[in-house]
Amino acid sequence: MIVSVAVVGQQNNPLYLQSFTEAGDELKLHHIVHCSLDVIDERVNNPKKNWPTLNETFLGLLYPSENYKVYGYLTNTKVKFILVTNEIDVKDADMRNFFRRFHTAYVDAVSNPFHVPGKKITSRSFAVRVSAIVKSFESGSNA
Amino acid sequence: MAPLPPRSGDAVFANIERVNAELFSLTYGAIVRQLLTDLEEVDEVNKQLDQMGYNIGVRLIDEFLAKSNVSRCADFKETADVIAKVGFKMFLGVTASVTNWDADGMSCSLILEDNPLVDFVELPDTCQGLYYCNILSGVIRGALEMLCTSY
Repeated sequence: MIVSVAVVGQQNNPLYLQSFTEAGDELKLHHIVHCSLDVIDERVNNPKKNWPTLNETFLGLLYPSENYKVYGYLTNTKVKFILVTNEIDVKDADMRNFFRRFHTAYVDAVSNPFHVPGKKITSRSFAVRVSAIVKSFESGSNA
Repeated sequence: MAPLPPRSGDAVFANIERVNAELFSLTYGAIVRQLLTDLEEVDEVNKQLDQMGYNIGVRLIDEFLAKSNVSRCADFKETADVIAKVGFKMFLGVTASVTNWDADGMSCSLILEDNPLVDFVELPDTCQGLYYCNILSGVIRGALEMLCTSY
């Protein structure tokens, strides 16, 4: 089950954070997202042979903690999408699919002339679309 | 030469030069944003958009008549239909529907189902009184004023 999604900007400023669990551990999710930013920075600055090449958008599993798995996706404008899930086995293709749709929704939200780049995303339709993508992802993986 | 028959909106739209819809939406969005930054008052921006539309309309009407060859409209109902079906189709690529006629036939509503001007746009709470597409009402006003010979 997807616990939360986050969008982080170029200066590691949070642009969007939405959690999908009823429990109120928002702070813990913030913390997890923050820690995963370090992992992304490491991968971006030190590309090694066994890690994805420089122009790869999907970063894959960033790090598994005791309950959660964190996946990352880097756009070409250095905006990062972070996904926290507590599912045990998740297919790579599903993740890529999810991030691709999330990227499309993000691009549409950013094309709003009233959105200020670098500020938080306040678009309600973006929130609705993200919830829809998360729901369809979960129903797809549970089917 | 025999007079040309009026061409439908689709036929004209097929032969006319077109522009990328995203570029169009983003350009219009940039105009509105710049007006908001310069004028700051939502009412002022509405007025300015209407004025801009008026200036476009007085020039656009000649092109419209030249390309589409529509004949004189008998009454206001026909005028509204021509604007909705031929005019919008020719310039925006979408047709509008005409509804909400009042008892006298003096006023109606043109409803645009998918409006290319407002792709991706979400009005923030600070701009709730903004008529984002006011340029369209200005265009219609300008175009019709040029046609009005005697009333």
